[in-house]
Amino acid sequence: MTAQAIHVPPAAERITVLQGQALVSASPREEFTTVLGSCVATCLFDPEARVGGMNHFLLAEPPASATGFGVDEHYGVFLMELLINQMLAQGAIKSRLRAHLYGGANMRQGMAPIGSRNAEFARRFLERERIVLIREDLGGNNARRVDFRPVEGRVRCRSVAPAMAPAIRPARRPLTGGEVELF
Amino acid sequence: MSTAPNQPTRVLTVDDSASMRALLNHALASSGFEVHQADDGQAALEWLVVNDVDVVITDINMPRLDGFGLIERLRAGSRHADRPILVLTTESAPEKKQRAREAGATGWIVKPFDPDKLVAAVRRVAH
Repeated sequence: MTAQAIHVPPAAERITVLQGQALVSASPREEFTTVLGSCVATCLFDPEARVGGMNHFLLAEPPASATGFGVDEHYGVFLMELLINQMLAQGAIKSRLRAHLYGGANMRQGMAPIGSRNAEFARRFLERERIVLIREDLGGNNARRVDFRPVEGRVRCRSVAPAMAPAIRPARRPLTGGEVELF
Repeated sequence: MSTAPNQPTRVLTVDDSASMRALLNHALASSGFEVHQADDGQAALEWLVVNDVDVVITDINMPRLDGFGLIERLRAGSRHADRPILVLTTESAPEKKQRAREAGATGWIVKPFDPDKLVAAVRRVAH
């Protein structure tokens, strides 16, 4: 029997995407990972350019705000645009983008359904921008762990114990956002 | 060129994101501005050949013609040489800001924008 070389794919370099981040990669060795409760993660990839990215957001305003648990669309649109712009900078084309959406769970009964509102925002954004949504796993009451290979657009989404989900931390706009400088 | 007294200030927003255009339209129209919108620099350039506005607000990263190209093309002609142009962008790199300044931009605003600050900036440069 002749010995054969067995191809063992290199181990992926796992990169955690934290709330408020948008990361993009064109490296086949990298895998983005995140754990979601009420938050939503958008995974985008361009199958031709072989580049992908993930963001992770929670848009609900704090309960003390005048409008209660509304959704701060300015920050959501910003995080989506940040993800898309980083992908375009690495050779992706907007009309080729394919999307997955995960998360948006309503973790505690009796509390405002902020997960559902975040999920609605994400779906509506993709629809407005005409980005094709090919898979979603949104809502329910379970926390999720999402692993995403950006170059292949391959996603694994599993339910995990609620305790693993990060604490609800409503988004704060970046300190630099909205600043006006006249030349 | 300013509008006549009692006429609303006319603003052209240039952004390839439909979601961003909706946010801008809401922020500006609810403050009394007359809002026109283009979805990239090329569409804005073509619209401005036959239309006038008081202020242009443009994104940077857009297909066909980006914000830098739009500013350079508008500044190259006499018709829009003095038109206030505000850049509204997710870009935060100083070299991008410098490039916009050299191209002839009037101001630089970083997203996510604050509607009150945006409205104040438009009022300030429009007069």
